[in-house]
Amino acid sequence: MHILLVEDDPLLGDGLRAGLRQLGFQVDWVQSGDAAERELRAQDYAAAVLDLGLPRKDGMDVLAAVRAAGLATPVLVLTARDAVPDRIRGLDAGADDYVVKPVDLHELAARLRALVRRAHGQPRDRLQAGDVELDPAARTVRKAGMPVSLSTREFDLLHALMLNTNRVMTRERLEQHLYSWGQEVESNAVEVHVHNLRRKLGSTLIQTVRGVGYVLPGPAGA
Amino acid sequence: MSRTAPSLQVRLLGLMFGVLAAVWAATLALTLSDTRHELGELLDAHLAQSASLLLVHDADEDLEAPAAPSLHRYAPRVAFQVWRDGRLVLRSANAPMQPFGPRAASDGFSFFTDGDVCWRVFAAWDAARRRQVYVGERLGARDEILGAVLRGVSLPLALALPVLGVATWWTVRRGLAPLRRLGRTLAARRPDALDPVPQDGMFAEMLPPAAALDDLLRRIGELLANERRFTADAAHELRTPVAAIRMQAQVARAAADDAVRAHALDGLLAGCDRAARLIDQLLTLARVESAQAPEMGAVELAGVARTVMAELAPAALAKGQQVELDASGTYEVRGNALLLAVLVRNLVDNAVRYAPQGTAIRVRLQREGGAVVLDVEDGGPGLPDADLARLGERFFRVPGSAASGSGLGWSIVRRIAAVHHARVDVGRSTRLGGLNVTVTFG
Repeated sequence: MHILLVEDDPLLGDGLRAGLRQLGFQVDWVQSGDAAERELRAQDYAAAVLDLGLPRKDGMDVLAAVRAAGLATPVLVLTARDAVPDRIRGLDAGADDYVVKPVDLHELAARLRALVRRAHGQPRDRLQAGDVELDPAARTVRKAGMPVSLSTREFDLLHALMLNTNRVMTRERLEQHLYSWGQEVESNAVEVHVHNLRRKLGSTLIQTVRGVGYVLPGPAGA
Repeated sequence: MSRTAPSLQVRLLGLMFGVLAAVWAATLALTLSDTRHELGELLDAHLAQSASLLLVHDADEDLEAPAAPSLHRYAPRVAFQVWRDGRLVLRSANAPMQPFGPRAASDGFSFFTDGDVCWRVFAAWDAARRRQVYVGERLGARDEILGAVLRGVSLPLALALPVLGVATWWTVRRGLAPLRRLGRTLAARRPDALDPVPQDGMFAEMLPPAAALDDLLRRIGELLANERRFTADAAHELRTPVAAIRMQAQVARAAADDAVRAHALDGLLAGCDRAARLIDQLLTLARVESAQAPEMGAVELAGVARTVMAELAPAALAKGQQVELDASGTYEVRGNALLLAVLVRNLVDNAVRYAPQGTAIRVRLQREGGAVVLDVEDGGPGLPDADLARLGERFFRVPGSAASGSGLGWSIVRRIAAVHHARVDVGRSTRLGGLNVTVTFG
């Protein structure tokens, strides 16, 4: 899951990035409000963690600008401002969640997963497609009840497809989900991961839309 | 308002009742003295008139001291004697046998006491000085008439008093109604309502206190806003290092990789140092702000600067910075040695933190006119004008500055300078290119 972290404090930003990476998130980190707005417009992040007291452009202004531009990226506001009016203002301005510092790493991760799940209209944390079940919190996949061992990238790719059932995902979009900044994207990486997933989970799970991308048909049949 | 506070209404009522009672008493006294005077003149005239009637009475008809009949219920209070050639020839029944006055007395009024009865007497001789007439009246009679007159006057006055009292009470109550209305309005306000008191329906006398109240509310509002801003800023500054420490600790505990763990542990230590420094500065600021009147004395500033710089030199040398103190002689100012050391330490520490590696930091003391001037210059990046203006706002940190400042240092410097009536100027160092802070002790 590829998220944007906006935090001006070097020490806290560093810790958040390292911690979220440990839990399987792909994290891009920016330290100012204008950079945050630029990145949110440029990339399709699964979610964003936004500090409010930012240099150059306040977090609330970033939020307002992003929402005014019609971007629906789930935003979790992480701030030291704990007064109720601040919380209300944050949520009204378009925040999807409001968390006061200091926060537990695992709670933050769970909230981010919940935001992403809700943004995709999924009621449960565990995702299901046919006999394949994916647990984003434990980062495990089962087929017909039996655990299947997947690499990090394979897991993230399957997660992205399962969150977006019945939606065709282009290769570029899938790459954005898999890689954060500074990571080398191997050519054909997506094809290779899809190939491996089909080998491990059955060839009918992921379907190719030639020249466009991949889709995971959902139970509703769209 | 306390329950035992004196009531304005009671005070007004008391004053008005007092004035009413005094006017009432004065009216009564004036009526008494005036009536007594008029009554005296009237009755005296009656005595004289009666005497002249008796004088012209045919002398031959005088009997040998007969008693004239009493014809009126007031008659016993009036008495007369007619003497001829030293003999009592005519008298009223209630008149004494002895003369009403000295025999040789001339015409006119006098007082005569017979036992415990006191008479007002008019005496008159006929032209031949043979017949003498006394007409007397008991003084008690006069007092009775006076009493009856006064009773007639004082009854309506006495009846008017309670009526006036009730009217006064009603008037005062009604007059004070706007004050009570204002009290109710104020009491009904929400405790955090700081908007001005509505002035419609208010009387001119109430406007000054209402205006003072509005002014007070406005100032309280400003104070509250300040406090709220401070709390919000303090929350941010205190929670962020704690959040960072927690996050780094969780990363370190879960790290499978030694390099990741070492990095997180370094972060953990840095976070602790930052939190400790923040707490130090908050405590210092709290002490400085509560020290309205610290103990002042003669402080030698060069010595203070030397001590502080000796403390901070290792940190500067570790960053490859050159430090220099330019102060020859002694520079005595009036102040508090501890606070002044905190001021110099904050300025030098700031320079050490924000100036890059290998630059110079210079502290200089000099005299300009009668003032002692402390200069702290560095070769750092300096500050844009907009940021210079905001230095000293609590928790204002220069945007993008990487060092672990809290922005409290400047508040401390400004506060200490204010306590010492010293001026702080911030500008660009012409010699070193960085920040130049000048503290002038007038």
